[in-house]
Amino acid sequence: MNFTDFYNETLTSVPTERSFYPYEANGGTALAIAGEDFCVVASDTRQSNGYLINARYAPKAFKMSEKAVLANSGFAADGNALVRRLTQRMQWYKHSHEKEMSITALAQLLSNTLYFKRFFPFYTQVLLGGVNENGIVYSFDPIGSYGSENCRAVGTAASLIQPFLDNQVEFKNVQIVEKPRLTLDRALCIAKDAFTSATERDIYTGDHLEIFIIKQDGVTTESYPLKRD
Amino acid sequence: MFLTRSEYDRGVNTFSPEGRLFQVEYAIEAIKLGSTAVGIQTSEGVVLAVEKRVTSPLLVSSSIEKIMEIDTHLGCAMSGLTADSRTMIDHARVEAQNHHFTYNEKIKVESVTQAVCDLALRFGESAHGEESIMSRPFGVALLIAGVDEKGPQLYHADPSGTFMQYDAKAIGSGSEGAQTELQEEYDKSISLVNAETLSLKVLKQVMEEKLNNTNVQLASITPEYGFRIYSEEELQVVIDRL
Repeated sequence: MNFTDFYNETLTSVPTERSFYPYEANGGTALAIAGEDFCVVASDTRQSNGYLINARYAPKAFKMSEKAVLANSGFAADGNALVRRLTQRMQWYKHSHEKEMSITALAQLLSNTLYFKRFFPFYTQVLLGGVNENGIVYSFDPIGSYGSENCRAVGTAASLIQPFLDNQVEFKNVQIVEKPRLTLDRALCIAKDAFTSATERDIYTGDHLEIFIIKQDGVTTESYPLKRD
Repeated sequence: MFLTRSEYDRGVNTFSPEGRLFQVEYAIEAIKLGSTAVGIQTSEGVVLAVEKRVTSPLLVSSSIEKIMEIDTHLGCAMSGLTADSRTMIDHARVEAQNHHFTYNEKIKVESVTQAVCDLALRFGESAHGEESIMSRPFGVALLIAGVDEKGPQLYHADPSGTFMQYDAKAIGSGSEGAQTELQEEYDKSISLVNAETLSLKVLKQVMEEKLNNTNVQLASITPEYGFRIYSEEELQVVIDRL
């Protein structure tokens, strides 16, 4: 068999696989807890890629307004792009309606923004925490389904933290007659404990803990170190 | 103004040397030929009232529609070339629905008014040479009324694309007399019921025909019921109070 025949019959008939995978999983965890007149949004700042750490301080929670903070987890580039898009939409809204976007409006806008990319989604799970009349938490799946809740964890340590929040915030699986009112101090303690424990077990969570506290009079931030291993 | 006619009143978007757009000014004149419409804002809601010119006894008066719903919390009364208002109200309705879809909240009265006014100067040729929607300015003025988080509000939008907020406003052929009457009778603390009466009282004074429950249309926008057009029976109750 000459070369040309060999080439045509053998080499060209070998099946080749082409792939396009535009997503990455950068890990990290975020949680949000709603109280009567406040909301707590907490997230770690580690960004990883497999066993490598890209950055020890790459925030994934962002203050969107004086009444809303957005946290996300998944593919960091998509998360950041989403936040930039929303920030611009909020600025447009402010220009055309001469008011700040409420958290309910932002939640609906976010849902639409995610759903409009139904067939090439932003690879990110989003939490929106803030206040309207009361503290409120909205959680979103990557294509825009959303609902309001009292507490929610997303990200690589979500499966570790969510049951803990259910138990400590919602008093699930507890025989308790009267559930005490959730104070801000208690919510902060729960958030900090959740992250210190998650950092022990989840390799994608660590470095720093950033906590946003949203009240009627605005947003404040706190920062705590987490284990860096 | 008709004495100064020149070649500048041909081009729809050419300024005259005195800095005027004649076609827009003529469009504003067109409104003064229309039937009278009145809007009154109160702390309880806004009232809209229009005169319907029933030009023939064979005309079915209920087919004259000069007050329309934009959204559940927004209404609109018109005067002038009412056919032109279709484009504007269609646009306003789309804008209101889009806002609700995007933000899950009701659009502000001012925002919807701004949206309608954005249309007003889209006539003639556009700068980039693409097809424009309209060949001439709108020949209709609108009274846009609604209730939002800022409370009940009334806006007036004219063919020049300008809009202003009013406590009480009259447009159309009888607008001069009606506006004077509103100025005298209006009080910040007026109740919705008194505003209903006042609106018809004002219309009655400027109408040529005798006012009855078929040749006027009355609507209100309140926080409780939103936009509502009064039935002939409800209208009769208000007329009996006159």
